[in-house]
Amino acid sequence: MPLRPPGDVMRLARMGAMMPTRLSFLRVLLRRLCAERAQITRPVWSMTAAGHGHAVYSLDLSGHTYSLVAISTDLPADQRSDRVIATAWDAAFVLFDGVPSPDDIARIAENAPRQEAGRFSPRDLVLSRANKSVRMWNATVDALRAGGQPDATMIRDIGYLMRTTAVYGNGKFGIADRHVIAGRPGLDGPFAAEMLTVYLIRHFTLDLVQHVGQGRLEPGLARHLGIGNATGLGMAPFLVNHPVLLNNWMVARETALGRVRSIERLTDPEQAQFHALHVRAARHLSEWHVPAPDHNQVLRDLEAEWQAFQPHFDALDGPHPLEKLWQAAQAQSVPCQELVVALMLEPFGDLIDGLAECMGDPFGPLAAPFCGTDALRQAIEADWAWALTADYTQADACRRFWYVSAAKLEPRLGDRFAEPGAELETPLDIARRVAALYRDLPAGDGPVSDFLAQYPDHALAAFRVCVLSRYPYADIRDNLIAATCKPIDMLRCKLSFFGATKFDPKSDLWTRITLAQGAPLGDELTPENDDWWLPVLAH
Amino acid sequence: MTHSWTEVQALGVKAASGAGVPPAQALAFGAMVARHLADGGAETPIAAALRAPDSIVALALRVEKVIEGASMNASAVTVREADAGARALLFSWLSGLPCQTALTLADDTIIASLNLAAPSDRSRPDRVPLGPELQEQMQELAAKTYVPDSDASRSAGAGAGLMDLD
Repeated sequence: MPLRPPGDVMRLARMGAMMPTRLSFLRVLLRRLCAERAQITRPVWSMTAAGHGHAVYSLDLSGHTYSLVAISTDLPADQRSDRVIATAWDAAFVLFDGVPSPDDIARIAENAPRQEAGRFSPRDLVLSRANKSVRMWNATVDALRAGGQPDATMIRDIGYLMRTTAVYGNGKFGIADRHVIAGRPGLDGPFAAEMLTVYLIRHFTLDLVQHVGQGRLEPGLARHLGIGNATGLGMAPFLVNHPVLLNNWMVARETALGRVRSIERLTDPEQAQFHALHVRAARHLSEWHVPAPDHNQVLRDLEAEWQAFQPHFDALDGPHPLEKLWQAAQAQSVPCQELVVALMLEPFGDLIDGLAECMGDPFGPLAAPFCGTDALRQAIEADWAWALTADYTQADACRRFWYVSAAKLEPRLGDRFAEPGAELETPLDIARRVAALYRDLPAGDGPVSDFLAQYPDHALAAFRVCVLSRYPYADIRDNLIAATCKPIDMLRCKLSFFGATKFDPKSDLWTRITLAQGAPLGDELTPENDDWWLPVLAH
Repeated sequence: MTHSWTEVQALGVKAASGAGVPPAQALAFGAMVARHLADGGAETPIAAALRAPDSIVALALRVEKVIEGASMNASAVTVREADAGARALLFSWLSGLPCQTALTLADDTIIASLNLAAPSDRSRPDRVPLGPELQEQMQELAAKTYVPDSDASRSAGAGAGLMDLD
């Protein structure tokens, strides 16, 4: 079965509609934890009655021990902010390699609350911080103290007790580089260490609220409390700056879809599972409401479309049923198609879970250069025709510019015609650069190095053309500096690969999400519990 | 003070960008800096290169020619460089490529055999040394790539004015 072409898949409008799948990184990690029947221990718990202090959680994963060091502080309400420019948080975390000694804990307790201003060691694998959802937190504490349970409706609507506002990995602020853990089973997949951190933070928030509330949460409610996350522009350039990684994520997902579409027949239990998953997805959509009217309308439209699409799930008993389902989906909206993709992958772990091992990029780009400028031109015409059609001198084709802010050293997006700093633009304008390269290529053939000697500014575009010729899903096929570019689409794509649900966009620039909602609790990590795609409140 | 590989590489990229080096060459320069320092290379030629950004572009072009040569011919490529500092950087640059490399250094000549289809088998250390003088020089150059806050950026930044803390 041929894969969907990159020209269809790598468009922002589609990437911005992607849904989590069983290949999403948190799901892959949890599957491994469940397969290994991992057990979380809590060797340190030093908390005041109000929930301030520190704790350590440890678990063994494929022969290595990892520990989450959690620091909970008393944060004045006027300092609580999700913005990356914040300087204080309710809680700070480090995923530690091994079991931390008292000296390690003291060092982390000193540095982790300072986050970017702290300094970390190669045994610190991930750095993170989180703020409470004050409404959910207080309601849960009050209910538990009164001997009751928090309101299920509120849990459904909020979905977490705390939300992280940054999860730093790969060498930031002195923590371990990715290569330190890249060869370890269990942490070898993309963002596996970050996902382990997030899962353990969720576990900590459940412990902490029960400690402060002096009561036990019902497991059904606790399971529906995931961990929130607020994500802004800092995440968006990653997809452009890691083309091979992006390619490998997409190839795995598209290969999985291709394999599933090729299935000749479904057994009766498989058909029943498809029906059940359709119902679950419908319930998930009905529980997914967001404050932003435009985004909520997209969800309501999808909810209605999904119900109307249901009859296609009654026609799965013939030959090639999933190819037929897929073809029927082609008449639906892009969000509906992407939901169908995610659902179609869900029942077929035996067929596709192994693809998760191909989603990393341990080597970097191994792309041989073009032997001459003629070959470079032909590659541009073959793969970049979409980039050559825009007129980048038009204001709306180049209105946006990406930059790094001096205040927080974080990526930002500006208006070239209204804000200063465009001369310091970060080179995410790949399409414009390839078009400029194409214009300057000589009429005759010649060595690319000779051309680049004359035009050194074109080296980045030449590199990207070279990479895309080997890694076809490596580049987003949209103009990322156009006025119409919505960074939220890039965030949605990346976060869906993380396994995020309940996307709650606050603008085109940032979103809230929920991770690990419905995931097995810390004492439920057994193989039969890997069934939490698109969770619904089971209370 | 020691740093993570990623910190040193990222600082190298930003420093080269701040010095005026085009983005692809700055990216490659950053990777070279981490490899060079991790292998115990001297900091002096890095500092000198950052003071003469054209030399970084020229080094990148020489590496490009080596890769181009390797892609067209399986035999080793010979590079001569009389300046010891530039030669050391060239060696580190080639050594840090993502592909498999076999390098021989004899007097002013580097003989490079590249297998562009095979990944590098070079390991990376947990920490990379970076002296305070070079760090300061790189940080000063990196700062030239940052855009100061403005009223517009403050009001339009992600999350600005939209913090409905729940």
